[in-house]
Order: sequence, then C-alpha cells, then structure tokens
Amino acid sequence: MVMRMLIRAEFEKTDELRYISHLELMTFFRRAFRRAKLPLVYSKGFNPHILFSMAQPLKVGMTGWKEYFDLTLSQEMDIGEFIDRTNRELPSGIRINKAASIPEKSQALMATINTAAYIFRMTFRNDQEAEEELLNSFLAREEILVRRERVKKGDIEIDIRPMIQQAVILEPGKWLFQVDSSSERNLRPEEISKALVDFHSDLEFIPLNRIVREGLYVRVGDELYSPLDEKIVGR
Amino acid sequence: MNLADRLEKILYKVKNPVRYIGNEWNMVKKDWAEDKIKVALAFPDLYEIGMSHLGLKLLYHLLNEEEDIICERTYAPWVDMENLMREEGIPLFSLENKKAISDFDIFGFTLQYEMSYTNITNMLDLAGLPLYSKDRDESYPLVVGGGSIVYNPEPIAAFFDLFFIGEAEEGIVSLVKKYRELKDKKLNKEEILLELSQIPGVYVPSLYDVVYDNKGRFKGIKPKYKGVKEEIRRQVVSNLDQAYYPTKIIMPYMDVVHDRAVIEIARGCTRGCRFCAAGISYRPVRERSKETIIRLADEILQNTGYDEISLTSLSTMDYSDVADLVKTMARRYEDDKISISLPSLRVDRFSVNLAREVQRVRKTGLTFAPEAGTQRLRDVINKGVQEVDLFDAVQAAFEEGWSTIKLYFMIGLPTETMDDIAGIVDLAKRVLRIGEEVRRNTTRPMKKIQVNVSVSTFVPKAFTPFQWVGMDSREEIEKKQKFLKENLTERGLSFSWNNPDLSLLEGVFSRGDRRLARVIESAWRKGARFDGWGEFFDIDIWEAAFIENQLEQSDYIQARDLEEDLPWDHINVGVSKKFLQKEYKTALAGKLTEDCRQVGCTGCAICFDLDVKMELYRGDANVN
Repeated sequence: MVMRMLIRAEFEKTDELRYISHLELMTFFRRAFRRAKLPLVYSKGFNPHILFSMAQPLKVGMTGWKEYFDLTLSQEMDIGEFIDRTNRELPSGIRINKAASIPEKSQALMATINTAAYIFRMTFRNDQEAEEELLNSFLAREEILVRRERVKKGDIEIDIRPMIQQAVILEPGKWLFQVDSSSERNLRPEEISKALVDFHSDLEFIPLNRIVREGLYVRVGDELYSPLDEKIVGR
Repeated sequence: MNLADRLEKILYKVKNPVRYIGNEWNMVKKDWAEDKIKVALAFPDLYEIGMSHLGLKLLYHLLNEEEDIICERTYAPWVDMENLMREEGIPLFSLENKKAISDFDIFGFTLQYEMSYTNITNMLDLAGLPLYSKDRDESYPLVVGGGSIVYNPEPIAAFFDLFFIGEAEEGIVSLVKKYRELKDKKLNKEEILLELSQIPGVYVPSLYDVVYDNKGRFKGIKPKYKGVKEEIRRQVVSNLDQAYYPTKIIMPYMDVVHDRAVIEIARGCTRGCRFCAAGISYRPVRERSKETIIRLADEILQNTGYDEISLTSLSTMDYSDVADLVKTMARRYEDDKISISLPSLRVDRFSVNLAREVQRVRKTGLTFAPEAGTQRLRDVINKGVQEVDLFDAVQAAFEEGWSTIKLYFMIGLPTETMDDIAGIVDLAKRVLRIGEEVRRNTTRPMKKIQVNVSVSTFVPKAFTPFQWVGMDSREEIEKKQKFLKENLTERGLSFSWNNPDLSLLEGVFSRGDRRLARVIESAWRKGARFDGWGEFFDIDIWEAAFIENQLEQSDYIQARDLEEDLPWDHINVGVSKKFLQKEYKTALAGKLTEDCRQVGCTGCAICFDLDVKMELYRGDANVN
C-alpha cells in the first residue's frame, strides 16, 4: 500500500482575485492541481472528486492573507516542490506561501479553526490616542446588539460583544478585530461594521473591500496558533 | 485616477463582480504599447454567456497569436454595473488592461442572436461612441460585426462600419492589419472603408444604397459606386483539420453556462432541416480527423485542467465513426477521471447507448428534439425522424436508467394545423407511457418518470427554405400554447413555452431591413436592455418604438413572395436562392430531401459557389 500524504497549505487571496467566490475558488484550485499534475486522490463512486477541502469561506471582495486548504496526495512529495509546482498554475492574486505535511487523521480545517483576525481600513484617520479611546468605549459596553441576516430563517438580533476576543488599533485608521470564527460561533465582519456605524457618528460603514482577513487561527486558552502549527497538528 | 482604481470603488457594490475583473487563467494580457494594433472584442451579452461561446474564444486567441495585435475582451455589463458606471463616469472597458474601448483601433462585436441588439447600442454608448457609423470619423475605433448566425445584418447595418461575413479564421487577421496600415497612411474614414470593402467577405453598409421601385417596393441593396462588389460572399475555411484551433484556452472563474473543454470535431450539418439557419450557414460539412481531435484534446486538457471534454458540432452523432472516436477518448482519459460529453443527441437508440457508455457525469435528463408532433409535419420541415426512432431512443434511455426526458418542439411551422399540435400531446404521453412501463418492469430503483415538453415558437430565418414563411399571429400562438397547457396536465408531464411577443420581435429582426435601426435606437433610449432575458423584456417599449418610427411589426412578420427581392439578397452564404426556393416548394408538398452525405449532391450549390468541398474523415464523400 502506497503511503498517502495530507498537505495543509497556507495561501493568500488578494487584488482582483478577491472577487471570486468560495465555490469558484475551489473549482479553480482543483483545475490548478490537475494542471500541476499532482498525484491526486479521488473519492470512490460514479462521479469521483479530488480529496480536497478548504477552511471557512472568505467573503467575496475581501482580501485574505492567511487562508488554508487540505489536499490529499497519493504519494509522498517534497513540500517545496508541491508549493512551486502549484504556484506555477496560479494567477497573480493567489499564492501558496507555506505548506506542511500533516498526519492523515488530522482534524478538518473547518473543525480546527475557531478564530479569525480582521483588519478594517477605516474611512477616517485620527491620532492613535483618539482612535483608541473610541475603540475602548465601543468595547466597554456590556452588549453590542446587531441584526443578523439569515436566509430563509429570518433576521434576528444578536449580541456580538462576547464574540469579540480582542481589538486593537494597529496604526491610525487600521483597526484589528480578533473574533470567534467557528461553525458554532461565527462573527461576521460586516456585523462589526454595522455595530460601529450604530455606535458613533464618526464611523462609517466599512465595505468588504476595505477589510482584510489577516488570518485564521486555532485558539487554545489565550494562545493563538496557526493551523499549520506543530502544536495543533502534531507531527 | 486610472480605470482600475475607479473600478475598485464600485466593484464591491455589484452582483457577481467576477464578471468584470478579467485575470482568468490563460488570459492574454500584453504590454499596452503604442505601435500595436488594438482590437476590443465584444460580446453583446453577459460575461457568462459570452465566455461560453466557442467562436469568441477562437477569435480572441487567433488574434493574440499575432505579435503586433493586442486583442482584449468586453461584455455587456449587467444593469447594476451599468448604472454605477454611468454615475461614476466609467466608460466601457476591456478586461485585460482595463482600457477604455475608445482607446482601441477596432471595436468588434460577435453577433449571435437578434435579441441582443439593444445591448449593442448600449455598449457603443457606454464606450462613448456615437451610435451611427455616419456620425463617427476616423478618430473613433472601427466598429466591426461578425459571427456566423446573423447573416442578415440589415437591421443593425447603420451602427456598423463594416461586417465580416463568414468564418473568422479565414481573413480576419489580414483585415485587422490592413486597417492599421490604412490608418497609418492617414486616410480618412471614407477612403479606409472603400479600401477595406475590396477584401473578400467584407461588407461596408455605407457603400450601398437601398433601392425602391416607383411604387415604393424594396428592390434590393446596390453598390453606390463602381468597383464596390455587388454581392458579399461568405468566407469559409477549407481544410478544417489544418485550421487554427486554440488549446491554451481562457478559463472563466465564474460558473458559466458551458464550463468545460470543448473540441469542435466538425463544422456544418447536411441534414437539411428547413427551419434551421445554422444548417445552411455552416455548410459544407467539414470534419477534423481523429488524430487531430485527440492531439487538441490532450493539449487543452493539459492547459486547462478541466475534467470534462465536450465533442461539439451541429450534429456530433453524424461525425464519421463517432463511436470509435468517443470510445477511444473515453479509454484514453479514464485514469485522469475525465468524462466525455456529447452535446447533441440524435433521436435514435445508437446515440443513447453511446452516451450511456462514455458519459460519466450523469445528467439528470436527456433531451430529444422531434421538433414537430406529426410525421406529416416532420416531413415538411425535413426533420428525418420517424416516430419509431423516438420511441426506440426513449426506451433505451429509460432502460439505461434516465428517468427524465426533455422533448423539444416548435409551433407555428408552415402548414401546421391543430392536429399537429395535438400530435405533440400524443407523442409526449406515449413517451411517458414507455417510461412508466420500463419503470414497472425494472428491479432497480428508478425515480418517477418525468417528460418535460419544451415548445418554442418558430421564427423564420434568412437563408433558410422557410425565409418566405409568414409567422403566426400572437392570437394563433396563444391559442396553440393554451391548447398545450390544457392538455399537458397529467402527472409526469410538464410544459414550458416562450413569450409570444419575444418570438414575434425576433421574427421582425431576423428578416428585417435597415429602417429598423431607428426602432432599436428608440427602444434602447426608452430603456430596453437584455431583451433576450425574460426579466427585462418589455413589449410596451418596443411597441412605442415602432409607432414612433411609423413602422409596423406585422409588415415584417408576414409571408414574403417567392420572387420578391429580400433585404439580404446581396449576401451570398453559398447556398443558392434557387435551392432554397426548391426546398420551400418541396416542403409544401410534404416531401423529404435526403442528406447529401448519404445520397450525393442535392444541389444546394455551396461547394461550387464557395469553392469548398465536404471534408469527411474516412467517409465515403470526397475525402482529400
């Protein structure tokens, strides 16, 4: 029996490619893998598909710096070679920056990742102190109520405060929010935007193309780990 | 601020911004250098429709093969995008370098169907160009139309500087280069057009007058000057096997209509269905060899990573030794999990069995097109399908496990009576019975049988034997649709139909003349866009546009006299008017005309007129 290999890769999605959807990106990756002639593994059945999965979808229009996918190969392959060969088949805007071989039994990305960090490029700039004051008073509230839009099920009002783990001003005009992002508890970046607008008249709605998903993380206690981290996947 | 930055301000606001970003795999983006010839290729419909179109991709890559040509693409923006572009003052732009269309030398449209005409005027306007050719001097891009379906360009003639009639592989590159050469000589637009009109296949509408007799009847379109050719001959590729075919083909990110590798295995069709414009205008039949097809398939699959390959042609199943071809390919790509798809199934058992054997991606349904409900009417339209072929084919399909069958018919065909309409109901029910019978007797699980009956309204097209036929009135169409609605109600049957107003308008344009340009302009100014998309079509706008220009739709829809001059007579597609007249009479007599592939020449004259011949791969006809 040939040894299979499970690869976890970290990639970025920027520039014009921000506008392709999650499903379109998945289709695109599958075709890129085929062009790269990787030793792919297909599911059994009448209509076989490549064993490949991705982390939490990135919203159309948003930049992602540290996004992830898992891909199963039918044989061992040098990680550097995997990155090079695949990158050659990717357009500018999508690029694999890191990858690692992880145990085949590793937990799926969607189940592992529980935290996302978003950087908001605000529409105003002040000095650091004034912005920090504004942000702190935003966070100091007991609850932050936002209307959550739900297809079919109807909208509901939710409190997003417990889902904001941390927020800091990186530099004037650049706010970073570290929030819950798992299948059970997921704070959507546009909900932060909405809450900010409601909170203060200086704050305008930040459209998705001004938000960067800085990274997806696994939070254990107070520590953040990359989904590629040895502590997460073991070796 | 450059265009790309200005786009960034609006893209996140529109639906499917991926339509406007370009940067697809295998896109050709060249450095925007002064000395290159710039061609903007336009498809007057949405990105996802245009990107499914093989001809446009072929042209795009063909032109970009040339070192000194930059060819970029543009599509009709959806209404949300158009509004934002107008608000922000963003002109129509190319996807590759994000350049305004007015920065190009040539603005070329691929014309595929009549209902995109208002998208053409809209795109000209968004590009900042005056609509009419006469209002544009040499400082504007040359506006060119081409595309193999629209051989009656008269309704839109006034908007275009020239049309290229025929297959683009033959002559388009030299046309583009010639234009640049003339422009560099600082000739004015009239001089340039006169020179270009000398090129075979080039039709410059402004060099022709519409002639009327003393009673005001149309008497043809005649050259204004001596030396301008009287008829424009369609340009045709001879030796398709050796012809250019792109294999590093551009791939959309968006899930477009036909998102798979496509190989054109043959061009043309000799079946001779009398309603079919493509059946005439793509003649003669030319096949690629099996070796070439496999070589092209290998390259395309390698360059794209697609996992499905479609063997396309007007009638794929008529390809010489099609079974050997598809089985060879199925075996060849089995390990790579690539499936073969056959787009047009003939109505017979053979087709179904072959499809079953190679199509791994099992479509939920199979489509067959008997076109008419009775044998009498199928003979009139020369659709060589017998009832028994259909029953055989659906029996095979049900036995192979398909549970949904789509049947495609037309109403409004010449000589049609209510008996023929009742025949549609009868056929559909008998197909349903066959399916239910198979399902009752099978041991394996099978979904409930579903027969979907899709009925469109016949629209007479130029250059077909039915180009003289009058269309049904709206009342007649509605009466027939109502009958079908009331009689296709049984469980397991469904019925879909077209908006009669839309079919009638299509009928106006398919046999229209130059006066219609004003109507198109009026309708566009009143807001008509994307007329082919049900959600936007507004017949009231069009009716107002006709009234404004004192024209009657009914004048265009009515029957024509066999001997009268027609607005497209100056275009020679290669099939003689005599042949079409003879076919029309044969149709009315209810007689069939056989396929020339089997019985020898039936006298359509294409091979003599255009000096081409049928190219069959290992067939019986004149093989090279």
